[in-house]
Amino acid sequence: MAIDSDTTVAATQHEGEIRVEAVTKRFGDVTAVDDVSFTIPGGEFFSMLGPSGCGKTTTLRMIAGFESPDAGRIVLQGGDVTNVPPPKRNVNMVFQSYGLFPHMSVADNVAFGPKIRKLGRSDIDERVREVIHTVRLEGMEDRRPGQLSGGQQQRVALARALVNRPAALLLDEPLGALDLKLRKEMQLELKDLQQRTGTTFVYVTHDQEEAMTMSDRIAVMHGGVVEQLATPRELYQRPTSAFVAGFIGTSNLLTLRVDRREAGYLVMDLGGGQRILAPDNGVASPAAQITVRPEWIKLAAGEVGTDAATDASHVSGTVAEVVYLGSVTQLIVDLPTGERLAVHRLNDSVGAEDPRTGDRVTIHWAADHSYVIDGSADVVGGGTATESTVSAAVRD
Amino acid sequence: MASATEVLETPLPSRTGSSARGAFGILFTPVTLLLILFLAPMLLMVKVSFEAAPPLDTAFSLDNYPSVLTNSLNLQIAIRTVFIATTAMAVMLVVGIPLAYYMVFKAGRLELVILLALVLADELAPIVKVYAWQVILGREGIVNWLIPGPPVSWLIFSQFAVILTLGATYITYTTIPIYAAMKAIDPTVFESATDLGAGWWVQARRILIPLAAPGIFIALILVYVPMLTDFVTSDIVGGTNSYMMGQRVRDLILQDVNWGAGSALNFIMLVLTGVFALVAYRLAKLNQIETS
Repeated sequence: MAIDSDTTVAATQHEGEIRVEAVTKRFGDVTAVDDVSFTIPGGEFFSMLGPSGCGKTTTLRMIAGFESPDAGRIVLQGGDVTNVPPPKRNVNMVFQSYGLFPHMSVADNVAFGPKIRKLGRSDIDERVREVIHTVRLEGMEDRRPGQLSGGQQQRVALARALVNRPAALLLDEPLGALDLKLRKEMQLELKDLQQRTGTTFVYVTHDQEEAMTMSDRIAVMHGGVVEQLATPRELYQRPTSAFVAGFIGTSNLLTLRVDRREAGYLVMDLGGGQRILAPDNGVASPAAQITVRPEWIKLAAGEVGTDAATDASHVSGTVAEVVYLGSVTQLIVDLPTGERLAVHRLNDSVGAEDPRTGDRVTIHWAADHSYVIDGSADVVGGGTATESTVSAAVRD
Repeated sequence: MASATEVLETPLPSRTGSSARGAFGILFTPVTLLLILFLAPMLLMVKVSFEAAPPLDTAFSLDNYPSVLTNSLNLQIAIRTVFIATTAMAVMLVVGIPLAYYMVFKAGRLELVILLALVLADELAPIVKVYAWQVILGREGIVNWLIPGPPVSWLIFSQFAVILTLGATYITYTTIPIYAAMKAIDPTVFESATDLGAGWWVQARRILIPLAAPGIFIALILVYVPMLTDFVTSDIVGGTNSYMMGQRVRDLILQDVNWGAGSALNFIMLVLTGVFALVAYRLAKLNQIETS
């Protein structure tokens, strides 16, 4: 009895929990995943985000059991499954191309897993009915996948995985094949589904907006390692690397030459009252790399005045580019440091005039809005990084 | 979603009208030639099947069909022919389905090599191939030379030899349609089936074979029907216990000079194989699945 209740407690403690421990995977000479570790608590919507080739799909496939790690362990609900084949792992995968069985009806597709597991007929029927209701596919049971729209096929794939009541659902870019509008709808629906079922979702995507919309936490991956693992808000406001800053949203990277330290700030003096400030991170280095979000930067006409507030950065510059994006106008401003900065101006009133190319403007932002990227002392010559980031932002 | 349904429901542009007349113009010559060269001999055969035996040449007679159908020897040969052809077909499917699967999903760069090998194997003249098997299986042949002890008698001039040789002759036409059908399968279905707990046997039975079914039925049409009427193979590597329907018809006409009986038997075979081909074709069409 005592043992029984103990195991129950252990199982509930780890329900839906996934631990990836120091996992490495190589394909020939290429290290696809390099010593990656993280823990996903049960019931979390967890995303792995990164450009193609960053190791996110390989990591997911190792959790699913389709790839086996060269080093490290995969622990599901407290048990080591590193060498357990996929069907015995109590996780299910939703594939990018769905992998629906085209010769079977929707109901047969969904019932496939339970039938393999030899559940009773009434139990299977009950589960299929329930999950078809959950994904809102009532009335579609007898159709073949070829007779469904992309979004409906997506839901069949979800139902087919969820019907097995997996400890975790692994989703490999499941919305990649859908058009933008449907993708946005499905994002909200997936999030809703995850909350209703309480299932751990592990989601792989290269679309930062998609990851931001749905995830409780995001692991940003790059070159086989996790660059940063944090909540969407934290990733956006406090990126810990230049890569994360550039990958999540539009971002400006600037190199701040530390001319002096003053009242808890790093100060770069540019003459004529112009200065760039950032919170002092306590690292004694002659330069720091900072990131500033374009919407945190305010715009004024003319040159920096002498009455400028002392707790904010103030720089004069020349407008190099004006791009109207609808809700905002993006301005690219040339700074006296030779760097370029993207500034977003909210279009909150009709008829407001945007500055024109060549105009002299002053930009300012609160010192606390300059975020010093850790380890940035190693990265000098941020000017080029800024330009590439800005041009990437313009393409977005 | 609504827009997708609308697109699906928009009727396709009509294919009748001027394009149909164009098709008629293009097809007129080949269809006419086919009718003359293909249908005319067949009609002649039907006519001959209603003619009396040699002494009463060309007189109309209904005797051929009852006599052919009631001849117990014909029935015996028919059963044997179906047995040989069915066994050979089964052997070819057992080899051809895994081979096609290997080519499509596992072979990688070898895929084209195997495809080319299959095509080249078929380029060889059939008679040359059959004689090659005689060299391999004969009493003094390669296999008996390799196996120690006295020669194995059933290797040649037997049903075994006929089945093996037929299999080797038609393996190209069995494998390629199945290969083509499997090419249309999204390999993710196997991964998702594995994910859902299906082992290889369940995947083969419930996913691979149903999805490859159109190709399998096409293979049946291309291979099973000609095997039923084959006479060259059994002539060269077969013996008295593998005497087949094709040989029977040929011998009725060329040896017994009984054109009426030979034609009647041939016509019955034509109808039966035609029915078989139609059924297989219908099944192939039915199994064609929208894979979009």
